Amino acid sequence: MAELDSDRPGELVIDTALDPTGAPILILSGELDIASAGALEATVASITAKNPEQLIFDLSRLRFMDSAGIAVLVDAARKVNGVHLRDPSPIVRRVVELMGLSSVLPIES
Amino acid sequence: MGKAPEAKTASASPQNLGGRAAAEGAGPSATPAGSARRFRPSRAAGVAFLLGLIVTAAFALTSLGLYEHNESHLLRLRAREVGSVLTAVVPSVQTPLASAAELADATGGSPQKFRVFMAPYVGPGRQFASASLWPLRASKLVPTAVLGTAPFLASLPAQAHAFFAHAEKSPRLNVLGILSSAHPSLGFEFATPGVAHGFAVYAENPLPKNRRSSLASNSAFSDLNYALYLGHSQSHGALLVTNVQHFPLTGRHASTVVPFGDSAFTVVVTPNGSLSGTFFANLPWIIAVVGVLVTLAAALMTDRLQRRRVHAEQLAGALDRVATENRRMYTQQRSIAQTLQHALLPDALPQFRGLEVSARYVPAASGIDIGGDWYDIVDAGAGQVLLLIGDVSGHGLPAATTMASLRHAAQAYAAQEYRPATVLAKLSSFVDSTPHSYLETALCALIDVDAHRLTLASAGHLPPLLITGNDGHFVEVDVGAAIGVTSDAQYQETTIGVPPNATLVAFTDGLVERRGEILDIGLARLRDTATSQRLTLEDLVAKLARDLTSEHHRDDTAIVGIQWQN
Repeated sequence: MAELDSDRPGELVIDTALDPTGAPILILSGELDIASAGALEATVASITAKNPEQLIFDLSRLRFMDSAGIAVLVDAARKVNGVHLRDPSPIVRRVVELMGLSSVLPIES
Repeated sequence: MGKAPEAKTASASPQNLGGRAAAEGAGPSATPAGSARRFRPSRAAGVAFLLGLIVTAAFALTSLGLYEHNESHLLRLRAREVGSVLTAVVPSVQTPLASAAELADATGGSPQKFRVFMAPYVGPGRQFASASLWPLRASKLVPTAVLGTAPFLASLPAQAHAFFAHAEKSPRLNVLGILSSAHPSLGFEFATPGVAHGFAVYAENPLPKNRRSSLASNSAFSDLNYALYLGHSQSHGALLVTNVQHFPLTGRHASTVVPFGDSAFTVVVTPNGSLSGTFFANLPWIIAVVGVLVTLAAALMTDRLQRRRVHAEQLAGALDRVATENRRMYTQQRSIAQTLQHALLPDALPQFRGLEVSARYVPAASGIDIGGDWYDIVDAGAGQVLLLIGDVSGHGLPAATTMASLRHAAQAYAAQEYRPATVLAKLSSFVDSTPHSYLETALCALIDVDAHRLTLASAGHLPPLLITGNDGHFVEVDVGAAIGVTSDAQYQETTIGVPPNATLVAFTDGLVERRGEILDIGLARLRDTATSQRLTLEDLVAKLARDLTSEHHRDDTAIVGIQWQN
């Protein structure tokens, strides 16, 4: 099935940056799925350990996110009050929406 | 399911390698011990050695050729120098004899004048050993004046006659040649021809003993061995003098001819050492020795590199075997996990009056992990059936155990005749009471079979597909947060009427989710596939499982179909 060819392992690249407000930003590129969720989980844990007031996930370069990936974001949202998603693609945005997580993972305005 | 198995591969490898290395060390075919006993160079090293030798030989031979050529050239130059020196010596023999002959003609052959004139030239250490004046017109051919030793020629009348007869016509120095006797001498004559009463002046010089004479070590020609011949011949009989003990000269030689009166001197020289110096003489050997050493070093280095490569290849082979072993182990583990997964799902679906039920679970195609997809259908009493379908984020045993506990909790809530929204809220608080880092989406549907009514609540789960005839649409459900996000989650119920013989398909995201594709496209694909032809419920579920999952699938998938039989 040709339409399933894209169902191959992807890679996730995690970059960190600081927002002008001082909030840490995790810039995710590639695909966030069950295979790469562990790596993100470790990075998130190292950041939430410092108890930041805010945490921004820059998803502008994220092509795919599955429920395991969302679980990491939700977990971060449980530990940090101000978790925001920045610039998610329609694909990612729709996943968040359909999982009823729009209020837990608000998109940055 | 890439990462988790890879991590396990990495941690398992060193252990396995260690075990393998120990086994190899103990084995009888252990190569390191073998090579220590006997050195067997590799083929590449042999080739390198051979090439090195060929190159070395080529350089050494070239150097030798250049050296030989240079030596020959230098020797020819030296022979020419010797010739020049000899040429300069000739007048010192010729001039006194010519002058004495002139004097004899002018003085009518005065013996007195002859003696006075020739005295400084004759004697030991001077030009001549013997000098004599011979009147050519006399009746008897005898010398009228003799200085120094008596000429041998005087004792050989026939030879003297012939010599002077020839010399009379020759206006130059005539060389008699080597007088063979116990004491060989060289004789030469000068006469003034065309004068009525001609006189000839004759001189002799004895040849050195055994015709051997060494050069002084400080001589300009001390680096040469020489042989001086009379005439153009190099025969033993013509030898005047040489400095070598073992005659004739052998090896590299050069010769030059110097005119001497009516005859000539032939000088043959050979070097008694290297003319161009010791260094150049030894250069070919130096090149050969250094070349062989460098070649040996290169061969050894090649051998070492080759051994390392072989070792690396062996290591790669060992790693490959370990990887194969790991793959086998994971395949085994995966089948264990799948067995567990199937054990956790309902064996057989319960049968309900007026309702047909079919379900399918498609595990993810690769990796050892089992998914967290689950479903259950329970009798809720009073002609009602509770359908539950959920997807625990994550895979592997943690997801499977979470799934198991959720399923059991849900069954308990269903038994207490809770409404869908209540079931989900209770599940949410159940999950939140334990430490976790996962999410679970769940759909809870309460089906009133006879009333054709459906009450739904969703915790972040995809909506079910409702099919009536050829028409299909997704039930619009008010979606609440996925389970595990907050403990105080609240869910809204949606109740709809269901047409007769309608089919409800609930599913997990593996059925519609594709990388690089928005979910709505996957949902539309599901709807189109499900309504493309009329099928029995069993066939429909099988078709969806077959057509919408593939062997490359990375997520597991659960499908539950429910069909009203009237």
